[in-house]
Amino acid sequence: MKVSLFITCLVDQLWSSVGTSCVEVLRRAGCEVEFDERQTCCGQPAFNTGYRDEARQVAKRFIEIFEASTADAIVSPSGSCTAMVHHFPELFGEDPQWLERARSVGSRTYEFSSFLIRVLKVEDVGATWNGRLTWHDACHGLRDLNIKSEPRRLIRNVRGAEFVEIENAESCCGFGGTFSVKYPEISVAILDQKIEAIERAGVEAVVSGDASCLMQIGGRLSRKGSGIRVMHLAELLNHR
Amino acid sequence: MTRMSTETFSENAKAALRDAQLRGALRHATTLFGRKRREAAASVSNWEELRNEARAIKDEVLSQLDRYLETFVTNAEKRGAKIHWARDAAEANDIICQLTLAHGARNVVKSKSMTTEEIHLNTALERAGMQVVETDLGEYIIQLAGEIPSHIIAPAIHKTKRQIAELFTTELGMPPTDDVNALTSTARATLRQRFAAADIGISGVNFGIAETGTIVIVENEGNIRLTTSLPRTHIAVMGIEKLLPRFADLDIFFKLLPRSAAGQALSTYQSFITGTKRNASDEGPDELHILLLDNGRSRMLAHPVTRQSLACIRCGACLNACPVYQQVGGHAYGSVYPGPIGSVITPQLIGIQKAAQLPYASSLCGACREVCPVKIDIPRLLLHLRSEISRTQRSGRARERLAFKFWAFAMMRPWVYETTARVGRGFQRWFKSPLKAWTNARDLRPIEAESFREQWRRTR
Amino acid sequence: MRSIRAHLAASALHDGREPRINTNPCKSVFPSADASVVEEFKRNVEAVDGHCFIVHNDAEVGEVVKRIAEGKRIAVSSEPPPTKDLFDFDVGITTAQAAIAETGTLVLDSAAERNRLVSLVPPIHIAILDASRIYATLGETLEALQAGGEVSPAITFITGPSRTADIELTLTIGVHGPQELYVIVIQSNG
Repeated sequence: MKVSLFITCLVDQLWSSVGTSCVEVLRRAGCEVEFDERQTCCGQPAFNTGYRDEARQVAKRFIEIFEASTADAIVSPSGSCTAMVHHFPELFGEDPQWLERARSVGSRTYEFSSFLIRVLKVEDVGATWNGRLTWHDACHGLRDLNIKSEPRRLIRNVRGAEFVEIENAESCCGFGGTFSVKYPEISVAILDQKIEAIERAGVEAVVSGDASCLMQIGGRLSRKGSGIRVMHLAELLNHR
Repeated sequence: MTRMSTETFSENAKAALRDAQLRGALRHATTLFGRKRREAAASVSNWEELRNEARAIKDEVLSQLDRYLETFVTNAEKRGAKIHWARDAAEANDIICQLTLAHGARNVVKSKSMTTEEIHLNTALERAGMQVVETDLGEYIIQLAGEIPSHIIAPAIHKTKRQIAELFTTELGMPPTDDVNALTSTARATLRQRFAAADIGISGVNFGIAETGTIVIVENEGNIRLTTSLPRTHIAVMGIEKLLPRFADLDIFFKLLPRSAAGQALSTYQSFITGTKRNASDEGPDELHILLLDNGRSRMLAHPVTRQSLACIRCGACLNACPVYQQVGGHAYGSVYPGPIGSVITPQLIGIQKAAQLPYASSLCGACREVCPVKIDIPRLLLHLRSEISRTQRSGRARERLAFKFWAFAMMRPWVYETTARVGRGFQRWFKSPLKAWTNARDLRPIEAESFREQWRRTR
Repeated sequence: MRSIRAHLAASALHDGREPRINTNPCKSVFPSADASVVEEFKRNVEAVDGHCFIVHNDAEVGEVVKRIAEGKRIAVSSEPPPTKDLFDFDVGITTAQAAIAETGTLVLDSAAERNRLVSLVPPIHIAILDASRIYATLGETLEALQAGGEVSPAITFITGPSRTADIELTLTIGVHGPQELYVIVIQSNG
């Protein structure tokens, strides 16, 4: 199985260990991983802020790069970026040709946990991590890509990890892209309700499938002097 | 109490976040509503099917709204109702005030209607010399307080029991109490006098049935029944989008609306009113006037994406599910329609210029879409509005527009992207100002020595 | 109206189809009088804080009414008092023209009986209903209301006593409508 890595600009520049963990886990699961260095961004920041022309430009470039790949699948460590690629057709409503190309690339693009479970059919990647942890359902992964059971199945196979569910696992962390800086007070108020539940659960770590959520949650935990750490699913699954 | 403006949403929200009492009330209400809705939906095995059917019915009606309206009007008139058309709020208020004056009316009783809040009917009626009283308990409370509703189905949910008791003491001379039953009894007794003296009853409409010309109104308190059966004249104000094609369609909507709104299998009362009474000696009003209100709705029909905004059945479920609404409440939006649906229809009703902040006041989490009984894709609508706003609003967005032009330039050229990112990472501590919005309450991750792609190149 | 047509035309969705309306009155739907439907109805009335009594003849109806309303001022729908006086009565007694088992709902048709205000104004409402008029589902009831031509001018569905949760979401029974609801179902034997 050949995989083309869609690294996402956030992971590339601000959280590279998510990328390297992703690669190592996929290789250990038997995949050949390629990385096309021409890639930059999926266009989500522009699309979400209302700049569709700019988003379309960047989306076209993404499509051109990835449709040329001979890989069986395009895999990304981000639910929101994967969802953006799946939403590309909305940018090409007037253009049947690009619409078709967008659909084609979208159908081959997977979020990391979803790829492991649904395509590779792998639940145990041989990871070990001792301690209590919980999971935060990132919104786009949950609601756009229906990712709910997959990460949980993967986590339950991590040796030594005690998984605790928080009652608001499905609630938004308050990031929302530029929302986090356009309405920072509201963003943090939403965040604090998530943090409250995490602290109450008595866990040592919070795991999620989106680095953006982890930056939001981790940033607040650290500001509050909390010892609870944040971890991307790829990092957890790569831990031995 | 001054009413907040939609244009100052950001300030309104900050003020709301500082109000501990409000936040407590909101947390209690949205959590309870959310749980009840979830349980009620879970108890219906074909919930998803019902949602799909309901949305299909709404799509059907909206795609031929003119035809269905004609049929509704024909059937309602055949049964004795008088139909009035209003292009906008001013016209609607004019028509209603003229009606009240023509009847020599003085006392008007009203039941809860978001549509009448939308057009600010009470103000117009008072100017015309009418005494208007809201009879729904929540609406009565906010009328006494001089406020607008903060929630689509529970107008006074932002108030604590204590605040309401104080209000009743000040406005009604009621001795101070902590007893909800006592407060309710006082309201009941006071309002019964108004019912008895009322010349005109004004209500909204939950569903208009094209097939039979019937208007259907749904409630728990009984004030709608009193409003629509005691006074000699009944005026029903109906948004044009409230139509359903067939009487039988009510089965689906009766299953979805009360569960989505309050976790109830069915609300206490449904009134099915078809025209006027057959004989003069029968019970009920002598006259029924149905006012069909446009006020921007027909404009929403034009675009397939915005048309679904009109499918809303005003259940309020999206408010309860919204992380933003949960924190700031309804008044911050400065509109009678707050929360997710409000962020979508308010800009379309009052113009995107005045309501430009609302579509951005969302993290796009999608919880609203998940709970909407008619599956309105609110995040998609918000994104559509954001795109419209960035396209048409030039002033105030110059810096942002430029930033994204540069962003696109960089993203089309990997070497520009990499260089800019490397510089940004290296000089991060120098970019304090734009980052303050983040760093006021959150730390930033320590900057990494190498990006992923730099490591990849090195290690291959 | 022109505005509506213009906007619809702009979206080019109008394909000239006729609205899908049933022009044929549907066949009459008869409720089922089986015991389980009556039980389901009773259960659902009680689930919404109503009271339900199943009796077998008029004498028993009288006994139940006496128990509830003895000593109180009673208004009856067959000969209702003037409206302005109705506010002074304690009990309103009406019949119900039909009922719905799956929700515990009473169906009152003001064309059949002057029950609109008698069932609403006094704080206690007693409704008398024949078991054979109980439909199993909401859908069947809606169908039946349309059967045989026109819908009646004023139909009311009643599910339990009046209520509100407008103050801190605390449930209070008895707001503008009745505070107590009693349903007496006559189930004739055989």
